[in-house]
Amino acid sequence: MKINFVLNGKGRVLNAPSDRRVIDFLREDLGLTGTKESCGAGECGVCTILVDGESRLSCLMFAAQLEGRNVLTIEGLASEETLHPMQEAFVQFGAVQCGFCTPGMILSALDLLKRNPHPTRTEIREGLSGNLCRCTGYQKIVDAVEATACKKEKGPPL
Amino acid sequence: MKSLEIGRPIPRVDAYSKTTGQERYAADYYGENLVWAGVKRAGIAHALIKDIHIDDAKTLPGVISILTHKDIQGSNRQGMIRKDQPVLADNKVNHCGDAVALVLAEDKASLHKALDLITLDLEPLPGIFDPEKAIGEGAPLVHEGHPQGNVLFKGVLETGDIEIGFKECHAVVEACFELPHQEHAYLETEAGWAILKENGQLKIVVSTQSPFRDRSEVAEALGINVEKVRIIAPYCGGAFGGKDGVTVQTLLGLAVFHCPGRPIKMWWDREESFLASPKRHPARLYYRLGVKPDGALHALDVRFYYDTGPYDHLGGAVMALGLEHACGPYRISNVSLKGFCVYTNSPIGGAFRGFGVPQVTAAMEQMMDMMATQLGLSPFEIRKRNAIRCGDKNPIGISVTGSTGFEECLKTLEEHYLWKKRNEWKSKAGPFKKRGVGIASVMHGMGYGPVVPDFANAKIELTREGKFRVFSGVVDIGQGNASTYLQIAGAILNQDMAHMELVLPDTESALPSGSASASRTTSTFGNALIGAAQSLKHRVLQRAAIYFMAKEIKEVDLIPGGVNHFTTGKEIPLSEMFHILDDSEKVAAYTFTAPTAKENPTEDQNLRLHGVPHLIFSYGVHLCYVEVDELTGNIEVKRYLAVSDCGRIINPQTFEQQIHGGIAQGIGYALCEEFIVKEGRVRTPDLATYIIPTALDVPEMDSIPLESYEPTGPFGLKGAGEISIDGPLPAIANAVADACGVRLFRSPFTPERVLKALKERENREFEH
Amino acid sequence: MKRVFLPHNLEELWRIIAGEPKADIYAGGTDLLVKLRQNLINTPSLICLERIEELKGVHEQGDEVMIGACSTHTSLLENPIIQRNFPVLTKALNVLASPLIRNMGTIGGNICTASPAADTLPPLYVLKAEVEIRSRSASRQMALKEFILGPGITCLKAGEIVSGIWVKKVPGFNLHHFEKVGQRKALAIAIVSLATLFKISGEEMVEDVRLAWGSVAPTVVTSNEIEAMLVGHRLSRQVLKKAAPIARAIVKPIDDIRASADYRRQVAENLLIRLGSVQK
Repeated sequence: MKINFVLNGKGRVLNAPSDRRVIDFLREDLGLTGTKESCGAGECGVCTILVDGESRLSCLMFAAQLEGRNVLTIEGLASEETLHPMQEAFVQFGAVQCGFCTPGMILSALDLLKRNPHPTRTEIREGLSGNLCRCTGYQKIVDAVEATACKKEKGPPL
Repeated sequence: MKSLEIGRPIPRVDAYSKTTGQERYAADYYGENLVWAGVKRAGIAHALIKDIHIDDAKTLPGVISILTHKDIQGSNRQGMIRKDQPVLADNKVNHCGDAVALVLAEDKASLHKALDLITLDLEPLPGIFDPEKAIGEGAPLVHEGHPQGNVLFKGVLETGDIEIGFKECHAVVEACFELPHQEHAYLETEAGWAILKENGQLKIVVSTQSPFRDRSEVAEALGINVEKVRIIAPYCGGAFGGKDGVTVQTLLGLAVFHCPGRPIKMWWDREESFLASPKRHPARLYYRLGVKPDGALHALDVRFYYDTGPYDHLGGAVMALGLEHACGPYRISNVSLKGFCVYTNSPIGGAFRGFGVPQVTAAMEQMMDMMATQLGLSPFEIRKRNAIRCGDKNPIGISVTGSTGFEECLKTLEEHYLWKKRNEWKSKAGPFKKRGVGIASVMHGMGYGPVVPDFANAKIELTREGKFRVFSGVVDIGQGNASTYLQIAGAILNQDMAHMELVLPDTESALPSGSASASRTTSTFGNALIGAAQSLKHRVLQRAAIYFMAKEIKEVDLIPGGVNHFTTGKEIPLSEMFHILDDSEKVAAYTFTAPTAKENPTEDQNLRLHGVPHLIFSYGVHLCYVEVDELTGNIEVKRYLAVSDCGRIINPQTFEQQIHGGIAQGIGYALCEEFIVKEGRVRTPDLATYIIPTALDVPEMDSIPLESYEPTGPFGLKGAGEISIDGPLPAIANAVADACGVRLFRSPFTPERVLKALKERENREFEH
Repeated sequence: MKRVFLPHNLEELWRIIAGEPKADIYAGGTDLLVKLRQNLINTPSLICLERIEELKGVHEQGDEVMIGACSTHTSLLENPIIQRNFPVLTKALNVLASPLIRNMGTIGGNICTASPAADTLPPLYVLKAEVEIRSRSASRQMALKEFILGPGITCLKAGEIVSGIWVKKVPGFNLHHFEKVGQRKALAIAIVSLATLFKISGEEMVEDVRLAWGSVAPTVVTSNEIEAMLVGHRLSRQVLKKAAPIARAIVKPIDDIRASADYRRQVAENLLIRLGSVQK
């Protein structure tokens, strides 16, 4: 079927079988391999994308469900030369190790800050609790999100 | 820009590409004309293979080829020490994850259909799943021809006289501990792709920890010339030991000969990864510890069994490292240690961060607390009285040399507010909650041991663009060593990150440097890199001195992007130096081999081959606060402190990442991670049933490095990759005992087990 | 290949159902796509309800609240009407799976999946929720506890969907409590859960109480007997201890990979004991 949607800021009309999983559509058909897959069952969060600004598990969605939506994958977050403040914080605070959870983690963190701009550390942990990380023990990820939230008060809106 | 410095928290170079989704992992390849490869697995623990029916699958549209052991020209055996694991099972199935047939298909859907259509004609054999029973009489044999039956490897270490020792003891404590399989659960499951090029080269891009060893394993198992095999190792999406050894490599290597010129991809899904990958060895450990009246440890008798599943993988070495660490960082004069690594039909036991040490530390550190309770000493005091120091003989009879900061770790803990405020915190537990504080000592040896050479070959070159390019020989599996290599070379060459370049391990361009394992990654390769960088620096400066007509080489020095002549203030960019230097001068390589212990605790050459003894150890002490819910049995870890002596630190941020990550995995190991297989059937097949900690399950952690200087390490460094996973389980167990007086000898400490123990205690008290 | 339909309104939905009578109907997909991965879905087509606005939202109608079946868990968590009137539901939603699942999964989906471990069911039982069921030609309403027949089994007939959940406000119940025991703090499937509504007098006396246990039987367990035992008393340990053995007797748990039946029985009892220390 034809799917009309916005992908990383650009309007696209693309063909895909309606039951193609969004994760496969993004990775295999569109080459957007920044979105990862690890469990295929909603248990790890590495396939997180933003759909109309809300975090979604792309392994539990069909391509048909993208019709008319605004989709942001990790590839669409940074502008040409500048990292998004959340990405920058992940780099600076050492929130990245193997990096396989990182794209999903960053996008979940953005969903969290949109709902709760000044979360406590516990609220950050709750907000990220659907995104597993096996390397970091989460602490530096929480640091990065906390720092981004603090900066947000003064800096440009996310 | 500032030049790179040792000891600074420099953000990792890979963090940029990983946060933007640009980094290409082995799993991220989808080339033109891609072939999908997949494997039919046994699904049964022990059986004779009568027949493999592939005809229905073969005729399915989209199926290119189906291969079995008959299609393998080489030895069809892989393994690092003992080559006992088939690429594709031939006559027998030895565990439920054994690969039996390889399918190549045009797309994933056809692949899965074909895998379903393959049927196996199997004659079930009685399986053996308990290592102690497996060495008993009449147990079914996993490998009929193995001379020691189901004993893969036995190790014995003895010092003093254990019988006299115990006779001289004032108090004795005895216990048996049981630990489960732990699954690595790296987020990037096993993945790779391969292609047979026109020139006959077999190129494999794979998520691996050991590209150079993979290369020879693939060649031997498949019967091809090792020169024809090229392994490329991108950043791993996690590995933790689970990718130290062949996963998809040989299967891909076999596949390419059946569709030459086409790229072939294999990516295990989560369930397949859990089914087929090696795990941390389940262990049963019998400990008996005796002390003198003053609390001095005097005798320790240990016998333990590690279940290695049907294949060695690295099981023998894992067991040997456990044996060497069985006594903890203490002085004990009479010791008898016996370790058995046993073949069973369980999942494969292999390398997992900690490498056999978490199991023995779990036992020994709980013994220390049990003994302290018996003596009426504090857990801290008993450790302090027995702490190992530089100059001591360790319990297996090796002199302790080099940096040994264990006592200082204890002192640091003693002065920490989390230790000082523990009683105040404990007193504030809410209704139905009990609070406790536990500590555990840790130590971890570095490198391969006395026989297998722990070497690395670093290579660095000056590029046309005026940058220094480091050829990393050891894979970055997520721990950040690639960045640290740039930091080391940059510091020596006085460059900033902009003038440093990295080439990830590729057997074609890098030089053999061993595996990303054994807490050796930064140490061994770092030492080699120092040599290579210094050598290139010297050459560049020599030529620059001539260029500037300097009287002495001292008049010139490297600056970011160039060379400066102090006397005249003139500079020459490195891109120009490139043209001045001859091609042969632009590259420097350096070999470093880690020193080994001169003393020998054993005449058993096999035990030495498996890594005993080590020379350099990192040390530490962990502390945790836990709260136990008396109504549910749930344990919550509320706070954690790790004081670590891992030598000097090159990048504090990367160091802390390792400590935090190990603690989190250790908390999972203690509280919820248990890979369950019943009679060969996996009961925890996915991330919904195998439970690893979420962000809410890991507490805030403090990491305090105690920077002793290790003279043999690069800039004084020691290994830090594994030590932090050794402590959480016993620290938590000790805290739970402190909180509510119960000790669980079987882990993980699930709410159900805790509640049962609480109930039993209650019943006992009622009876009295 | 399966066809996926995305009707935008009920009219369209009925038309599609008529043409695809064998289709599986789903909302958030957090359950269906997992089953699909396990090869448990054999239908040729799928109908997704996520675009049907009529099935979303929370509507206050006098002393009743109508929750659209396709409201996501997140939307309910953030909804002031739910927060104000049904804290017991909010507390359960807050520990349901993970934020990602909550952004996708819906309350109607949670009900229709009818898992014994579903987190929204015990709160909805104590709230005496009713489900509104619609088909092309009819609409009916029934008590949730009548609707759910067993694990994965409901009264839903072919061509029907759950369109909404009706919940009466419970102004007198001044203490809402939900506790879930899982294997970890998030992304956990309940081993035992207990939802409770209390009407507590100024003298700390229980005037009314409703209790519902999850994950300890094929369907949610309630007990008039225990409720009656608590009414007219303070929530002392003594009173609760007396009631606890009944909880143990009425639950019918199973052994599974997460916990044994014995543990579930014990904890079903213990969660009742906890009620004495629940803060208002």
